Amino acid sequence: MTNILLLEDLPQIRTWLSSLVLQVFPDAQIAEAARVHDALGLVSAIKFDLALVDLGLPDGSGVDVVAALREHQPETQSVVVTIHDDDEHLFPALQAGAFGYILKEQPRELIIEQLQRISQGEPPLSPSIARRVMAYFASKTKPQPASSALPHVSLTDRETEVLLRVAKGYTLPEIGQQLTLSRHTIADYVKQIYRKLNVSSRAEAALEAQRMGLFGR
Amino acid sequence: MQCRCLSPLAGPRGRGRPRGGRRAALWLGLWLAWWPGLWLAAAAPAQARSVTIQSAQAVATDSARFPADLAAPTVELPDDWSVSRPGQAGPVWYRLNFTAPGLHDRGELLALYIERVCTNLEVHLNGQLLHSGGRMSEPVTQNCNHPQLVGLPAGLIGPGLNTLDLKVVGRPLSQVASRHRAGGLSALQIGPQSTLEPVHAQQVALKVSVPQAISATLLLMGGFMFVLGWINRRERHLAYFGALSMVWALVEARLWLRDLPFGNATAELLLGALLPLLTLASVQFLLRYAHHRSRWADIALPLQCLLMPATLLLAGPGRLHAVAGAWHLLLALQVLAAAAFYLRTLRRLRGRSFWPMALLMAVAAAALALEFVSQRFGFSSLLTQVAQIVTPLLMVLMGLRLLQQHGRALQAAEESKADLEQRIRDATAEIERNFTQLAELRVEKVTERERKRIAADLHDDLGAKLLTIVHTSESERISTLAREALEEMRLSVRGLTGKPVRLIDALGDWRAEVVARLGQAGIEADWSSPPEELPQTLSARAFVQTTRILREAVSNVIKHSGATHCSLSCALADGDVQIVVRDNGNGIPMELDGRLDRGHGMASMKQRAKQLQGQCLVESGPGYGTVIRLTLPLNRATEAA
Repeated sequence: MTNILLLEDLPQIRTWLSSLVLQVFPDAQIAEAARVHDALGLVSAIKFDLALVDLGLPDGSGVDVVAALREHQPETQSVVVTIHDDDEHLFPALQAGAFGYILKEQPRELIIEQLQRISQGEPPLSPSIARRVMAYFASKTKPQPASSALPHVSLTDRETEVLLRVAKGYTLPEIGQQLTLSRHTIADYVKQIYRKLNVSSRAEAALEAQRMGLFGR
Repeated sequence: MQCRCLSPLAGPRGRGRPRGGRRAALWLGLWLAWWPGLWLAAAAPAQARSVTIQSAQAVATDSARFPADLAAPTVELPDDWSVSRPGQAGPVWYRLNFTAPGLHDRGELLALYIERVCTNLEVHLNGQLLHSGGRMSEPVTQNCNHPQLVGLPAGLIGPGLNTLDLKVVGRPLSQVASRHRAGGLSALQIGPQSTLEPVHAQQVALKVSVPQAISATLLLMGGFMFVLGWINRRERHLAYFGALSMVWALVEARLWLRDLPFGNATAELLLGALLPLLTLASVQFLLRYAHHRSRWADIALPLQCLLMPATLLLAGPGRLHAVAGAWHLLLALQVLAAAAFYLRTLRRLRGRSFWPMALLMAVAAAALALEFVSQRFGFSSLLTQVAQIVTPLLMVLMGLRLLQQHGRALQAAEESKADLEQRIRDATAEIERNFTQLAELRVEKVTERERKRIAADLHDDLGAKLLTIVHTSESERISTLAREALEEMRLSVRGLTGKPVRLIDALGDWRAEVVARLGQAGIEADWSSPPEELPQTLSARAFVQTTRILREAVSNVIKHSGATHCSLSCALADGDVQIVVRDNGNGIPMELDGRLDRGHGMASMKQRAKQLQGQCLVESGPGYGTVIRLTLPLNRATEAA
């Protein structure tokens, strides 16, 4: 049995998504929520395997739910389901630990395919997100003496290579061909990139909190 | 000779102002050397051809003629009454006899020259009144400073012994403040007028004309400086110096006013009132010039101006000389003390002008000392006469120096004012620039915020509704339309809020979308674009419009062409971006050629290309596929807002 959290404020879309999820995971147990507050309550009560999270909600941002899941249930796969396709909105969610994103208005078949891919460990990665990730890690290479106690996360050459190609508009299968690697290996790189982004962001956040604490005292 | 040698050296005086101590001291020396030199040069030859008379019969009586009936003892000339007849006011008759043999043969005009007579005289020759210096009774005409030259008419001179009678009125020393105004008669000279005339002119110049010229200069300059100092609060010393110069000129006014409308006592009192004023101005000038202000001096000096005339009045005419003498000493000491204070301050401040000022004051002090000595011991010499001229001359020099300093300070102030104005202008311009920048930034910020708000509203409201339509509509066509509308909305928002996009990033985005869509449709895609880094950027709007055109083109390929292969190429040429979309499909049917727009969105593609100042060309033939050529000027597309 699969426990799935569905956070979506529009009732009709929630119903539609719910039916779609049941199509991919027929034996899934779906917990629905329309607000960030309700979702956080569910997160503290139930252990989820998958979470579909909308970003723009009446009482806040779905990013908080993604972060809470990453904090309390690190095994849960969080997927952002949103109307926003720009990295301004998506990147914070990915930093908080989301494992991929789906654009809501796409045809049912496409969403199902994407959902299946994600659950099989093949998260999507758009050129603009790839560029944003590269820029993020590029800014990390600056020496930070205070962060020596924290894990220093950096991308490998291969991961950077993959990101560069994604940024130029190549699809993951194309990149696999170019680098003579299997589709699964490329997908693993992408997963690794998402994880590193999250770890690095968390370390950064912790450092920030520590700094604030030090100065706040 | 001395005069001639020096005058070429004195030439540069007019051209350059004394700068620094040494040059000032040099000019001072030249001035001092010039006067006695001139006098000696002119006076020397006169001695030779005239006769100097050094004794005469004298009798003190106020008669109309020489009293032949009274005993007239012989006295030495010069006859100083304070020595020969102390306390007496005269008048005194003097008689002397002379012969002029061969006068008529030589055809010369004889003259009597009296270097000093105080206060006035009448001259009788052989009983005839020949000359009068002015009023002989109070108020007596003042001739103490005026040498007399009396022509002796040849017709009155006999071949034998001639008698010359002089009636002199004067004042005892005790009734005058200065020995210069005490009664007496100098030695007399009789000789050819041509010989005596230059001597007389020289003495008049030295005792009258030159002091008059100097005091006129002082009056004008002093008045000017007084006004200048009065207006300018920071340069009060100028006002005091101006007052000093003017009071000095007033003291010297007696050179012009020989006939005063009041008697000796009043004249002496007035003069006595002027001296403490002179002291006040000098002392205050020196203190202020040393940047010092003494409250004590501010009170004491004006009080002294009242006190001195009061004491003179109280002492009465008989003790005038003694009291005034004491006062003179006191006043001189005050001035000397102020000068010493000034010099000490100047030295402490290491002023550049210490030595010239010290020299100037030493010379003035020496002149003052000489005057005191001559007053005390009653001698008069060339040196004392020069000393009397030196002091006002030094004042003129000092005044010029002060004016020069004032001018320079004024110039410096003007310059610094101009400098300040320039700086203010610069600062104002800077502030205006900053303000403009700030205003622009604020407008930008507000615009940005407003754009974000509109974008958020669109997403939340319109987006949610369109989304609902997409997923709830029974009709696939409506769903597709709503989906397209949603994509359009998203692009519009991006065009509204987006930042410029780097061309390389835009190409990446387009490639990802095009290849993914064609791939999903089962059409083989072939994308080619410049591999190198591209520095150009597109405005958000140009990016959005181009994305729409491409999207439409790819949609056409997927929906209508029936192609199995589609190649897209991007190239930069002559500042244009050229995008070519070529498929191997059916091409556009002939019957649709005239109205390509229908369902193909060709019109909107062309319209959008036109908005970006570019063009969109469609080439097609049945069975040959379709080629769409999109050309956009890069710089315009970049600029387009």
